[in-house]
This record gives sequence, C-alpha cells and structure tokens, in this order.
Amino acid sequence: MNPAIQAILFYVFALGALLSALGVVILRNPVSCALSLAACLAFTAAVFFGAGATFLGIAQLIIYAGAILVLILFIVMMLNVKDEQPAAGSWLYCVLGVVIAGVLAGTLSSAALRLPGATGGRCPLHVLAEHADELCPASNGAAAGQAQTTPAEYGGALPPISMREGESDVSLLGKTLFTHYNLSIVILSFALLAGAVGAVSIGRSLRRD
Amino acid sequence: MTPLSHYLIFSALLFSIGLSGAIMRRNVLVVLMCLELMLTGANVALVAFSRAQGLEGVPVYDAQVLALFVMAIAAAEVAVGLALIVAMFRARRGVESTSLTSLKD
Repeated sequence: MNPAIQAILFYVFALGALLSALGVVILRNPVSCALSLAACLAFTAAVFFGAGATFLGIAQLIIYAGAILVLILFIVMMLNVKDEQPAAGSWLYCVLGVVIAGVLAGTLSSAALRLPGATGGRCPLHVLAEHADELCPASNGAAAGQAQTTPAEYGGALPPISMREGESDVSLLGKTLFTHYNLSIVILSFALLAGAVGAVSIGRSLRRD
Repeated sequence: MTPLSHYLIFSALLFSIGLSGAIMRRNVLVVLMCLELMLTGANVALVAFSRAQGLEGVPVYDAQVLALFVMAIAAAEVAVGLALIVAMFRARRGVESTSLTSLKD
C-alpha cells in the first residue's frame, strides 16, 4: 500500500479511536459506553492492521469486541443499570481525573516526542538507548550486519514491513509463541482456568435465595 | 510512514483517557471498561515497539506475544470482575462505587 495512504489511515483511525474512547468516559448510559468501547477497540484493531500486526488485530476484534464486550453488555442488561446521575461533589473527581490524566498524557507525549534520534531533544530515553542492546537483545536471529532500527533512530519513520518468502505474520508469531514462550502460555492457560473457576465461585457464593 | 512517536502519543492518550474515566466515573461497569481502554493503550505501545525494533522489515514478535498475553489476561480479568460486580449488585442493589462505603452489608 502507498505509505502516504497508510499514514493518513493511521491518523483517521487513531482519531476515531480517541473520540470513541472519550465517548466511553463522557456518555451517561452504560450501554452507550459499551458500544463506544466497541468502536474504540475496532479502530485500534485497524491501527494494529496498519502497523503490520494482522494477527493481533484479528485477536483484538474477536477477543475484545467479540467476547469481552458481549459479556459486559449481557451484565449491563442483566443488572438493569440506570443512567449515572451527577452527585454532589462529583466535579471534584472530574477535575482530579482530568488533571491527573492530562499530566500523565503530557509527560508521556513529551517523552515520545523527544525519542532518541528526534530533532532537538534530550530525554532519559537516551540513557536507555545506549544500553538497549544489553537490555533487550533482538530474538529474531539478529546477526551482525543486518539492517536494524537501533534505538538511536527511534525518532525517524518506521521501516516498511517486508516479509521473506513463505513467511507471514501469523507463522512468525506462532513460532515465537510456541518456542520461546511455550511455558508462559501453559501458565497463562492455568490463569484463564483459574479466572473461569473464580468467576463461577464468586457468582455462586453470594446467592442466598 | 508514521514515526514511532505518533504511535506512542496515541497510546499515551488512550491510556490517559482510560485513567481519567477510571477516576471520574462512579459506575463500576464503566470503570471496568476504562480499564480495558488502558490495557489497549499499552498494547498499542507494545505493537509500535515491536515494529520499531524489527530487523529488515520483520517485526520483533516478543512484544506482540506480550500483547497477546495482555489480551488473554484481560479476558480473565473481565470474567472475574463481572462476577464481582454481579455479587456487589446482589449485596448492595446498585453498581455505584459510592455505595461501597461500609464493610458490613
């Protein structure tokens, strides 16, 4: 795809995701919040597709927008939740939330804008960049002489995705998942099982009638 | 192409919006949704870094595996969280976090 179109699509989808995320925070009705969250997650999945993470985008659509959101909507309808009414003193929490979130967003954005390699900036990430090779050795069979984006070039544009013959996003992700992270995924499955059992037992134990 | 910093700013904004919602809202269900927003924001940063660390246009997949783990844990978290919310609704007849002011029911 044309890189310019790809960049424009990223900004469109990111803007849509941010607007629908604001909808989750602002809307009163929990059902509207849930639908706004669905839109936000779908836009984020589109951003994942644009970044070349096709499997993650599809997993995002299936797991988040498919399973989690339907579960939340079921609970909203089961509990018959009413619209949230503004209570006395709630403006204090609004101010607190906006200030904390604004400060956090400003800090993170300024750190992102002064990434190593960006024009005219110096931030603690430079220190990280100098030791990045010791911190996270690339695991895709990194050999000397291969073209790699070093942390010193993070400020520049990302390189285009170019897969080798016979390789795809899903196959490479699967190889990483079932070789390096085999034990982790087994432990994760136990965590999911524990979550399911815990949900059932919590849902049953408080039922008195 | 989009630089890494724009992905990171997008992720930071998504995380901050989720955080502000988690602080501002009183409906526990919406707080749970805002937690999902924050997790998604973290996932965007992971995907962006996996792309930026790549070799010859092939992303580093460790970060995407981590993002996949985050999604799976989010699913477990939502299951337990919704069960807790149902239990809370049974005990308090409401899902407002302001109703959770005493330990006795």
